Amino acid sequence: MTKVEAIIQTSKLDAVKDALQEVGVEGMTVLEARGHGRQKGHTEFYRGREYTVDLIPKIKIEMVLADGLAEKAVQAIVTAARTGKIGDGKIFLSKVDDAIRIRNDERGETAL
Amino acid sequence: MSLNPTLAAELRDRYAAGSARLQEEFTSSGDGRAAVHARAALVESIASRLWQELVSPEIEGPPGFALLALGGFGRRWLFPYSDIDILFLHADGNTDPDLKDRVQKFSQEMWDLRLKLSPATRSLAECERFDANNVEFAISLLDCRYLAGDRDLFARLHQQSVPKLVSRESRSIVQRLTDLTRARYNKFGNSVFHLEPNVKDGPGGLRDYNLAHWLALVAGMEERSGWPDEADLLPAWLRPRFDAALNFLMSVRCFLHFTHGRDDNTLAWSAQDQAAARTIGVPDADSLATEDWMRIYYGHARLIHRVAAQLLEEFPAARPSLYRQFQNLRSRLSNAEFAVVDGHIFLQREESLKDPELPLRMFRFMARHGLSLSSATEHQLEEILPSLAKDPPKGVAAWHYLQEILLAPHAAEALRVMHSLGLLALLLPEFHAIDSLVIRDYSHRFTVDEHTFVAIENLHALRKSQSKWDQRYAELLAEIEQPDLLYLAVLLHDTGKGVDPDHHVAASAKVAEKCLERLDLDAPDRETVLALIARHLEISNFLRRDIFDPGTIRQTAEKTGTPEQLKMLCLLTYADIKAVNPEALTPWKAENIWQLYIATANFVMRSADDRLHVEADDEVLAHLRTLAPAAGKRIDAFLDGLPRRYLRTQAASDVIRHMEMSSHLGEDSVQLDLTRGRHWYELTLVTRDRPFLFAKMAGTLAAWGMNIVKASAFSNSAGVVVDTFLFTDRFQTLELNLPEWERFKKSIHDVLTGQADLDQMLRDRLRGEKNVEPKVKVDTRIEIDDECSPHTTLVEVITQDRPGLLYRISSQFSHQNCNIEIALIETEGQMAIDVFYLTSAGDKLSPEHQSRLRAALLTELASN
Repeated sequence: MTKVEAIIQTSKLDAVKDALQEVGVEGMTVLEARGHGRQKGHTEFYRGREYTVDLIPKIKIEMVLADGLAEKAVQAIVTAARTGKIGDGKIFLSKVDDAIRIRNDERGETAL
Repeated sequence: MSLNPTLAAELRDRYAAGSARLQEEFTSSGDGRAAVHARAALVESIASRLWQELVSPEIEGPPGFALLALGGFGRRWLFPYSDIDILFLHADGNTDPDLKDRVQKFSQEMWDLRLKLSPATRSLAECERFDANNVEFAISLLDCRYLAGDRDLFARLHQQSVPKLVSRESRSIVQRLTDLTRARYNKFGNSVFHLEPNVKDGPGGLRDYNLAHWLALVAGMEERSGWPDEADLLPAWLRPRFDAALNFLMSVRCFLHFTHGRDDNTLAWSAQDQAAARTIGVPDADSLATEDWMRIYYGHARLIHRVAAQLLEEFPAARPSLYRQFQNLRSRLSNAEFAVVDGHIFLQREESLKDPELPLRMFRFMARHGLSLSSATEHQLEEILPSLAKDPPKGVAAWHYLQEILLAPHAAEALRVMHSLGLLALLLPEFHAIDSLVIRDYSHRFTVDEHTFVAIENLHALRKSQSKWDQRYAELLAEIEQPDLLYLAVLLHDTGKGVDPDHHVAASAKVAEKCLERLDLDAPDRETVLALIARHLEISNFLRRDIFDPGTIRQTAEKTGTPEQLKMLCLLTYADIKAVNPEALTPWKAENIWQLYIATANFVMRSADDRLHVEADDEVLAHLRTLAPAAGKRIDAFLDGLPRRYLRTQAASDVIRHMEMSSHLGEDSVQLDLTRGRHWYELTLVTRDRPFLFAKMAGTLAAWGMNIVKASAFSNSAGVVVDTFLFTDRFQTLELNLPEWERFKKSIHDVLTGQADLDQMLRDRLRGEKNVEPKVKVDTRIEIDDECSPHTTLVEVITQDRPGLLYRISSQFSHQNCNIEIALIETEGQMAIDVFYLTSAGDKLSPEHQSRLRAALLTELASN
């Protein structure tokens, strides 16, 4: 099983959700996040005060998928989230040892 | 001693058959009260039989030992899957081990029969002691009822021990009950109007009914030192409605238990649909839509909650002495109309109810001071409502009262009570459409009306909040010129959900139009409120995009109207999201709204000189032409070349007035208009542009001791300027002397036409004024932006506000050969925030010119 963590622009959430559903991803967790990579922040002045934005608002999507589905999900995210500009985000993959469904103790891929 | 297997089987069958029968009866009748009584009787018959079999063959034995029903069982209310509270009461010193075994066996057999017992064992002496950590036990004794065993022992408990305990410990009992109730209310968001309420523990649920009953009992026992008459516990006029509400809730809870097959008391959406289809609790109805059934639920829950909360508030023992001291201080708020006792409002004279405006004054009083209405006062208001309904309040007078209520710190509480009593619907009949309205949405926690009140509460709460984000929004709220319009927009923003939930924004604007007409608001104020309602989702929509993208910011600016409306929409968005549910406005969202707001505000400021061209297709222009058809080409000539910002910040009626003023320039080259607004005086100048014009205006105002709070200056392509100054009259010159108005205007006229010496006027003024040390020091900052506009150079000056400041700044511009194309002047406390779009000889300022100007301004502003 593979955990897919994707950090994307907030404006791309709906498109990425739709794309993931189309490839058969049924469950995901969506988190509000802030961060930056090479895309630096900026400073805005308002009424004589400085407001520094060094962490840009992002959305993080997490899901654990069967190995066979992970790559399709990655492609779906990339296609939906890409604009070609700095700030598009990143995807991380990691191996998951096990998954358990709380309701009925199911384990492994059947619990996904 | 073990139970005979035949008897065990018989009792099991009796319970199963009895339970099945009462479920069938409920299914056919929907009568919850009958069902809970029937189950109580069934369990009692089984308990009595078991008692005789296992504990004592004589039902009234053994001596010195008794079996009692407590809590719900004691009241003869046993819901289908609720626990059974019983007490094994023994006389002091009675510790017969054999009896212990028999009691244990009794409990075991009850459990084996699938009867969920909650047993307690106490001696009589123990029942008389109050345990602050277990007030629930003391409360359960209020409902104790004899089942089996020593009757005398029970009588001693019931007639002596319980009244003694309650009389002695009423204060502690009620104090603990108050704490438990507050904790319970907090758990459910302190609101009756959840979309999926808990009918047992939620505000307005069965627990609140019990609470009201217990408080009334305790008060009665305190007074009589014995059990009061049940019939006297509540006022006669309230009892039928209270009982009807209880019957309804009993039926709903039974329905939920039978549906879920367990003690689940949450009225989830699917349960609501089924309950409505079966008209649970409403036996006379044939069928009901879910939202209509839920309205009935909320009506009952609201009543129960109100009564429980009032009894809790009015019970003297409920509040610690410090609080009572505070409330006694508030008695000083009493006036000729209203008496304030322990934080409750009473009418001084009942005859005052004949005055139809009295209720509005009462709620204004309530909203200002955070008081509650006494139950007697509420009843009095309910009695006069039908006569008020014949000629409901409307027009300017009604709007003034509503305005004051909306602006008061406890507005939401007052509005809730107005709404629950039906007075709000008299003022705003359209509000009735969202009364207890359920719109199913996984994120919304509350009904639409409650959501509205919570949103208003959120805005008022900003003043006292310590959170970093709330403080920023609080500062923004303090800048709003007409917060009453913002609150009114919040009050009406979702009324359209009661008319057309799928297109509620447009529907709300339509509903609001009727309300605003009835309240007779001025045209510009109506425009503002309608614009806020029509645009109230725009900022939320833009949050889903890249909020730092220039395109997003530009579109946000276009969609959110004037700078003032942008501020109001930002606050409306904050309040609206926060009112969806307590977790909806995350710090992430709060920051994003803020960032979008300041980016948009800066964009609007930096694009102020985007000029209007009358040949272009512009809906505002078209609208103006329709408002002044007689003006013909004059309106085009006046508007051509004026910045778009001028149109965005001026009401249509003001634009037409300015145009009329400009058409008289041939007769008098200086056209002035002076009016008194709610907070400031407003002076409008229409004249032809010339050097030092703005400086002279600012100087003349300073020479008269006026403090300029806001100002704007715009010019059109024909060189006609429209300058507006909002100022306060520091020395009340105009306020106290009506003839001075004309002298003031003449003075300005003379300065501008060169007939008066401004420098002399300023010297005379400044000579007489003392230098006052500012309370807050503001450092001077000058920002020059040469890129935001293709035609002008933007200069932003932030500095300490002081008398004559604008004159000094604008004089420097003139000395440095800069022409002010646009000026946007604001003051925040001690901080002056002045933005100027400058040209020199028709062009932007060169870099060297900018440096000289910066140095000159810094030198000027460094001196006192």
